[in-house]
This record gives sequence, C-alpha cells and structure tokens, in this order.
Amino acid sequence: MKKTALNAGRHFLLLLLSFIAIFPLYWMVVSSLKGEGEIFNYSFLPEHFQLTNYLYAFQEMPILRMLGNSLLNSTIQMSLQLLTAVMVAYALMRWEFKGKALIYSLLTLTWLIPFQAIMIPNYVQINEWKLNGTLAAIILPNMVSAFACLSMYQSFQSFPRALIEAALIDGGGELAILTRVVLPTMKAGIASLGIMLFITSWNDYMWPMLVVRNLENAPIQIGLKSFVSSDVNLWGSLMAATTVSCLPIFILYLLLQRNIVDSFMKWGIK
Amino acid sequence: MNIYLTQPATREMVKPRRTARAAFSRKKKKINVKPYLFLTPAVLMLIWWVYKPMLGTLRYSLYDWSMVPGTEAVYVGLSNFKKLLTNKDFGTAVINTGVYILGMLPFSVILPVFLSVATQGLQDKVKKLYRAFFFVPMIMAPVAVSTIFQWLLHPSNGLINHLLQTAGITANNISFFSDERFARLMIILISGWKMLGFATLMFSSALSGIDRQYYEAAALDGAGKFRSFFHITLTMISPTVMMMIMMSVLFSSQWSMAYIDVLTQGGPYGTSTNIYYLMYKYAFKDMNVGVCAAAAGLFMLVFVILAMLLQKLSSKVAFYDN
Repeated sequence: MKKTALNAGRHFLLLLLSFIAIFPLYWMVVSSLKGEGEIFNYSFLPEHFQLTNYLYAFQEMPILRMLGNSLLNSTIQMSLQLLTAVMVAYALMRWEFKGKALIYSLLTLTWLIPFQAIMIPNYVQINEWKLNGTLAAIILPNMVSAFACLSMYQSFQSFPRALIEAALIDGGGELAILTRVVLPTMKAGIASLGIMLFITSWNDYMWPMLVVRNLENAPIQIGLKSFVSSDVNLWGSLMAATTVSCLPIFILYLLLQRNIVDSFMKWGIK
Repeated sequence: MNIYLTQPATREMVKPRRTARAAFSRKKKKINVKPYLFLTPAVLMLIWWVYKPMLGTLRYSLYDWSMVPGTEAVYVGLSNFKKLLTNKDFGTAVINTGVYILGMLPFSVILPVFLSVATQGLQDKVKKLYRAFFFVPMIMAPVAVSTIFQWLLHPSNGLINHLLQTAGITANNISFFSDERFARLMIILISGWKMLGFATLMFSSALSGIDRQYYEAAALDGAGKFRSFFHITLTMISPTVMMMIMMSVLFSSQWSMAYIDVLTQGGPYGTSTNIYYLMYKYAFKDMNVGVCAAAAGLFMLVFVILAMLLQKLSSKVAFYDN
C-alpha cells in the first residue's frame, strides 16, 4: 500500500514537471493554429485549425531564407569547431611537449572571459574588415570553441594508447592514425558533441544581433526578434514564426532524443 | 599539412622518439613540431578572437570612444571607472546581478536536488520517458522562449492573466514585464524554467551512481530517512552540487541576458537590468565604449575571484567516492 502511494506521488511530481516544461510549447503551437477570432478566447484546442498565421508570417518575413542562413551558419560553425577540437584533442592526447600546460590553461581560462569582455574589439574588427551583415561575420569569431576542445580532449583521453603504438609499428602517418584509428572509435562521442554545438549555434543570439544588418542575411533568431519588436499585435503569427524557428531543433530532438540528452549531460552546458 | 605528415617524415621522427629516453644524445635537440602543427589553428584563433579582444577591452577602459568610424579613442585615465561607479544604473545592475544569481540557485540546485531525490527509484524505462519531456526547455532558443512567455504573460490577452482573474486572485491585468514589482521576478522564473529539468536530470544521474550498500549499512546502524539523506545522499552528490552552484553563479547573468533584451530591455526604470546587459547598453545604445570596457574589466575580476572562492570551497566540501 505504502509503496503504491509513494510511486503515485513520484509520478505526480514527474508529470507536473513535464507539464511545466511542455505546456508553454503546447500553447505556442495551439495559438499558432487559431484563427483571428479564436486566439483571444483561451480555448485549449482550436475549433478550426487554420494555417493563416503561418501564411502571414511567411509573407512578412523571409523565413525560409533565414532558416537556410541558420542551417548554413550552424553547420559551418559545428564543423569548424569539431575539426579544430579534434586536432587539439589529438595533439594533447598523443604527445608530451613543451607548453602543453600553457595550452591547456589557455583553453580553460576562456571560461572566465564573458562575451561582454570581447564583444567591442571583435565588433570593431568585423567592421574594419567590412564584413558587417555577412554570414562570415557571425562565423569567424566562432570557428574555435574552447569548450569543444576540452570536451573532445576529455573523451580522447579514454582512447587506448596501445592502438596508436600498434598503428605506428604498422607505419601510419599521424593524419592516417587520426583518421583511420582514432576517429572511427570516437565517432559516437564526436557526434554527440557535434549535436550540442549545432544546437548552441542555432540558438545563439547576442553576437549575431550585433553584426547582422538585414533580414535577408539574418539567422532565424534575429528574424524572430525583429518580428517581436515590430510591435504589431499579431500573436498568432508571432507564435507561428516561433514554432517554425524551433521546428528544426524539435525534429532533431525527436530523431536523436537520447543522444541529445546524454550529450548535454555529459558535456555540461556553457 | 598532408605532405608534412605522411610516412617518411613520421617514421624518422617517431621511431627514435620511442627510444628517446634511452638514447637522448642526438634527438634531444630536435623538437617535435607535430603537436604544434595540430594546435596552431585553434590556438591562433583563440588568441585572435578571445585573448586579444579581451586585452583590447582592458585597454579601452582607459579611453573615451564612441565607436564612430574615423574618430580616435582619447586616453582619459581612470575617469571611465569613476563615471561607471557614479552612473545611476550601475548600483541597480550590481544588486540585480546578485539577485539573479541567488534567484537562480533554487532552480539550478535546491529544487532539482529534492525533485531528483523524490523521484529516485523509478524504473529506468519510465524515467527515460519523463526525461525526454523535461529536457525540452534546455534545447529551446532564448528568443523563442521569450516570445512564448511574452504571449503567455501578455497583460490583456495572456493566458496567465486570464487564469489569475478567473481564479479571483487579481482583478486587474498585470503587465508582468513593465511592472516594477514583477519584471525581475519574471526574468528569474523564465531562466529557472529553462534550467530546472536539466538540473534535475544532472542530480538524478549523480544519484544513480551512489552505491546502495551505503544506505543498507546506514539502515543497519539505525539511521532514518533524513539522516541518510544528509549524511549519504548529500555527501555523495556534493561534486555535482558544487559544479551546478559554480555554473549557476558564473553564468546565470549570461543566461538571463537574452530574456532581458527581448522582454524588458532592462526596464521598467532599469529594475530588471543586470551588469552584463548594462555593458551591452553602454556600448551599443549609449555608444560609450570606455564605460562598457571599465565595467567588463571590473566584473571579469569579480567573477574570477568568485570562481576562485568557489573552487576553494568545492575542494573543501566536495567528496569523491573512489
């Protein structure tokens, strides 16, 4: 008896927590599907499902274009960050060398440098190069992630050194060892870190905000922000645009849910 | 780089290295350049995009500049710091930064610890289902989260106001984001909403790593539920607790920044601003690079000290079960 009551209590807590986590999103989707008359009547299911909000949002903003920008931006950032992280992790794992401790502290100390402490000089730099408003402006300062390097190094440390020694005896070059021996073993870890980097850059907001000039070249987050501040009372369309902006991440989450949760928990957040 | 690292070169450099400890005569002088080659791209870019700009910011804190192209930054000594400390928004922002840090702890540490303990012991399959749900806020973009809550909390048409009025709790429309009494609280609640599920999962996974034998032994010794919670559970999850406290303290002001920017712009009357948002405003709204840089330098120091204190505390408090 006592045990069932306890279990019921646990389920209640978990359901409550799930409800709190999910309900705002539910409300977003429901509101986006309501028509003009219905949006203000608080019903939990729309009587007539309508896509007019979506049509309007797509008309008002170059949403597809911005989704494409975000996709391109996040993919490039993720790839470059993974590439540089793999190289750093390999070097740190493979060799003992002078300055290793220095490199390691160079990576960890970035933790203590907030975005606000670097934004002005970086902004000035981008301006100087006349890259304002381009995708390159968003990507350039984010080509390396110290966080990715450290996480990658952490997972590389578990790599059995004996395999490298064996490959050396077989006469492989460093690049061959890295791509043929190390990377295949580390695939899962790299993929999970990659997902996280992708989501992080997809959601990034403050830096793109500073360097984006027009909606045509803006990532979707910036587009959404400009839609909010345009101050029209079109909540249905705003919710439609918000839904669309989340859609790619939701799809990714549906497909790779377990991996995503595991990778966030493994790597922590930053 | 391919050419560098193909076989002949590698053989020459690697093979002797394996016997280097024994025969150091010739090879000792030869530095192995390969690790540096692998590190160069990342290190150069970190220096270029993180460390150099950080030093640049420190330098700007002694200059007066409006970022207008063609104008020169003028050296003004420490007057930016003076301006900063006498700025009317600065005090509020510092206090709010503290409030946000403290306000975040219930959502990143206290509630999650209790929630994870309370829900401990469920079957793994069931747990996996729940965790899929309450992880969702974590992957959401701050801008999207802001627009959703802006709609939920809308003064005249938002669901929350409607529910509050239906329940008879209030008769008026509450403008959550432009009312001095609520704006700050709302920013905390929204940041907390995003954090809660993730933090609970972190503690759950720490809990599942505890050896059941400790509890059995404690029960044999006649320890009750509460005693074993304080003596075993809290001790065993202390590394996770310390890590979450550290992250929360160092980063919560960063996390709330996007919400502040979209939802309140620091208002009303500067009541919801925090130090990071204020820096952003100094630089890109007031075009006052020097004061922004002074604040950035000052607070980098503050957070470094905080980090060091927490690190010290953590090495004292955290218990590692080896």
